[in-house]
Amino acid sequence: MEFQAIVDRLRALNAPGIVEVDEPRAPDKETKDKGRSGRPFVMIEPASLVDILHLCRDDERLQMEVLIDITASDPAVDDANLWILVELLSVKHRHRLALKALLPKANPVLPSATAIYRAAQWHERECAEMYGVTFEGHPDPRNILLPDDWVGHPMRKDYEFPTEYHGISCE
Amino acid sequence: MTDLKQQHTPSIQPSSEEERILPSGEREFFFDVSTSDLEINMGPQHPATHGVMRVLLRTDGELVTGAQPHLGYLHRCAEKIGENVEWLQYLPYTDRYDYLSAMNNNLGYSLAVESLMPELEIPRRATLIRTICAELNRIASALIAYGTYGLDIGAFTPFFYAFREREWIQALFEKICGARLTYSFIRIGGVFNDAPPGWLKEVGMFCDVFEEKWREYYDLLVENHLFVMRTKDIGIISEEMAYDFGLTGPMLRGSGVDFDLRRDMPYMDYKEIWDAGVYQIPLGRGEKGTTGDCWDRFYVRVQEMMESIKIVRYCLEVIEAGPVIGDVPKVIKVPPGEGYVGIENPRGELGHYVHSDGGKIAVRCRVRAPSFVNLAVLEDLMPGTLLADSVAIIGSTDIVVGETDR
Amino acid sequence: MSFLALVQDTITKDNVMGTPHDGGNFVTELLAKIRPEWLPEWMFILTAVGIAVGFIVAMVSVIAMWSVWMERKVSGHIQCRYGPMYAGGWHGWAQTLADGVKLLLKEDMIPKGADRALFWLAPAIVLAGIFGALAAMPLSYDWYFARMDLGVFTILALGSTTTIGVVMAGWASNSKWSLYGAMREAAQVVAYEIPLGVSLLCPLMTLGTFSLLDASREQATLFGWDCGMGWAVFTNPFNMAAFVIFWIAALAETKRAPFDLPEAESELVAGFLTEYSGIRWSFFFMEEYAAMFLMSVVGAVFFFGGFETPLTALMRAADLEGGVLYNLVCFGTLVLKAFAGVFLMMWLRWTLPRVRIDQVMTMGYKYLTPLALLCVLLTAVWEYVRYLVVG
Repeated sequence: MEFQAIVDRLRALNAPGIVEVDEPRAPDKETKDKGRSGRPFVMIEPASLVDILHLCRDDERLQMEVLIDITASDPAVDDANLWILVELLSVKHRHRLALKALLPKANPVLPSATAIYRAAQWHERECAEMYGVTFEGHPDPRNILLPDDWVGHPMRKDYEFPTEYHGISCE
Repeated sequence: MTDLKQQHTPSIQPSSEEERILPSGEREFFFDVSTSDLEINMGPQHPATHGVMRVLLRTDGELVTGAQPHLGYLHRCAEKIGENVEWLQYLPYTDRYDYLSAMNNNLGYSLAVESLMPELEIPRRATLIRTICAELNRIASALIAYGTYGLDIGAFTPFFYAFREREWIQALFEKICGARLTYSFIRIGGVFNDAPPGWLKEVGMFCDVFEEKWREYYDLLVENHLFVMRTKDIGIISEEMAYDFGLTGPMLRGSGVDFDLRRDMPYMDYKEIWDAGVYQIPLGRGEKGTTGDCWDRFYVRVQEMMESIKIVRYCLEVIEAGPVIGDVPKVIKVPPGEGYVGIENPRGELGHYVHSDGGKIAVRCRVRAPSFVNLAVLEDLMPGTLLADSVAIIGSTDIVVGETDR
Repeated sequence: MSFLALVQDTITKDNVMGTPHDGGNFVTELLAKIRPEWLPEWMFILTAVGIAVGFIVAMVSVIAMWSVWMERKVSGHIQCRYGPMYAGGWHGWAQTLADGVKLLLKEDMIPKGADRALFWLAPAIVLAGIFGALAAMPLSYDWYFARMDLGVFTILALGSTTTIGVVMAGWASNSKWSLYGAMREAAQVVAYEIPLGVSLLCPLMTLGTFSLLDASREQATLFGWDCGMGWAVFTNPFNMAAFVIFWIAALAETKRAPFDLPEAESELVAGFLTEYSGIRWSFFFMEEYAAMFLMSVVGAVFFFGGFETPLTALMRAADLEGGVLYNLVCFGTLVLKAFAGVFLMMWLRWTLPRVRIDQVMTMGYKYLTPLALLCVLLTAVWEYVRYLVVG
């Protein structure tokens, strides 16, 4: 299915929390809009992520069996939100879907998708340690790539690099 | 799996340690005859973990009752670096995560960046050279997988045979780009330079020789009775489990799922090549045991080498002279946008999510590493196998630790 | 046991078991000619024992050195490479010597928490076992350290004491991987001692002797003709099957691939050897190569004619029996046959993948042991029929 058809299908299923569709657009000189290239996203409410994933996996026409990726992005230091990006793939129907959710930096809490896709486990652990997102209901919320005693969330744009680690100078 | 200690119940419960006085006045001891489980660190310095990965094993004799992979020993902050260097400067870093298939990593990153640059046209010759390099690199990577899996099972010699042919591939890469392992050859907009004179001919020669040698590999290990005994019915990944864990690439095809990004979500010229009927997608069918066992995954990798040879041959036939790089400035400025491109790496889907705000540096450069995702399945596969089987299972996931940790 | 026999042999100047051969080993015989009058008996015995022991130690070292070099060359050529090429000049012949010097000079490390006494003792026990077993090996018809009627029995008994050393090493190392290696070794050796011993019964029945010297001499005649080709595998078809079983069991006994589970470098890092380094580590390797050689000798003597070839038969016909040349030819024949066996072991090692521990056990207990027993039965029937027919 094409992207538009997937969105229509999601809307027809009354998927909860769909905010809008973020599609690439051409630059517009009049409004000084620089445009956006790349791929389209479905913008969703972070709280309804799990419901939408459930829908995407179980609906026969969508049937996204594979969770490719869950990650976050910190667009700028002064931005109030983190972006949560989810990439889904349907092996049967050979289509993809990308979801994007804006998560306030003040309270970065998200329900965990591990119950739907076990693939989410490690992605969420990585996302949690790198961006400080808390995944509620994650069965094993330890650090995965960083040491257990690491302070801070390195992929945040406002992260300050430590000057020493366990007595080893990093300067 | 949350905690190894909680999850596992010992096979023999310890008896009480109290002593009691028998009527005769003798003291009777209740000896503690429990066989306590052994917690053992496989790695970070262990020959079978293919790098610096650690698996915490809980064993009852030879039986593995729990496994917990610990990563991060090779974490080099690739994604953070991506947010701090220019677009083209990041390219050499892509070589470093899956260092066994650096061409494919270059390709994945280049395609992702190119997807944000709609005006950029990639010359056809560049696309074909990219395809040839990517497929040759896929063969080189599969040869390592073949050789090291042999090592894991205990056969030394296939490793050296595999390296013999890989050496030739590396020599070919050295001729075209000067590097043997980390190429940075496939650039944003095309490839760095044209193939030197006679290079394409030598690639053709390599294909001829490799087809003969491949038969040798197949007989030596794939059909070897002892090898089959060691790998069949071990580490079975069912189709549902493969979906659940988000497996891709040979791991998914080993479970009998007919899915290959080159055919099903074609990028570059793979659609044309598929339509020409050049290659097939080898699948695990449970020929020796159960579908989705270690042998099936290994078999898929070995068969894919031959399919790659066919693709290379096709590209050699249709390649024509022409430019090899599109109109790309020295300092690349990528228009604002967000893109995700997943390509079929030798280990699965290598995805790059790139986000540009129109500047010289990426806002976000996410790498979806196939080894990282494929490795998660160990936690489920290893408990209940023997120690030797767990080594076979790690080997059959064919991870590159540089990629799991990035 | 064999050392005792050696000493006893020297004292009595007669055979331990009292067989009709004139006794004494060739060391005492040689020394007796130059023995001064004033030398007391005990000093003479000590000297003889010392020389014999020195000879065996030197033999183990030479066998190990030559085998290691051979292993490197064989594996190199199997794997499309050369192996050592530089040390010493011709095809790197001195590579093992150089390695030996390096190993001697390495720091002698004992890991923290290891049982120092056992850790120190383990390589010694391993080596002592194999030295003792080698003492029972005859060099030729007239050159031997101890003429023992139960020669093969001694070799098997002393050869398997090395297992104790290996288990000791695994336990003393204070490493879990070493412990795994030791346990695997114990299980494997227990499983394969049985088929090894039982399969050897077949040629023993055919030849009717436990003595290596007599067994070899027995195989000189084929259909009553002294042609040096009456090898046990030719005179009785079931001996061939017994040899295959013997060979598989011997591979398992000597921890060679595909049965190298106690080491299993891809599973157990290096198994019981993990914590050893330097010269102690090399002791284990000397044992391994000496054991390979010894197993090949036993195989050669009891299945493939021992000293016997048409050449030895010809020399006998030319009335050269008993001379130095004759003994040299016998010695060379045996060494060649043994190294053919060692080569076969190497060839197998560099070709086959390793088997799993449960497969090792299954093969040992479920297949090899019953098959070996069947072989014994069939050999007995064959020998009885042959006795009835030939007489």
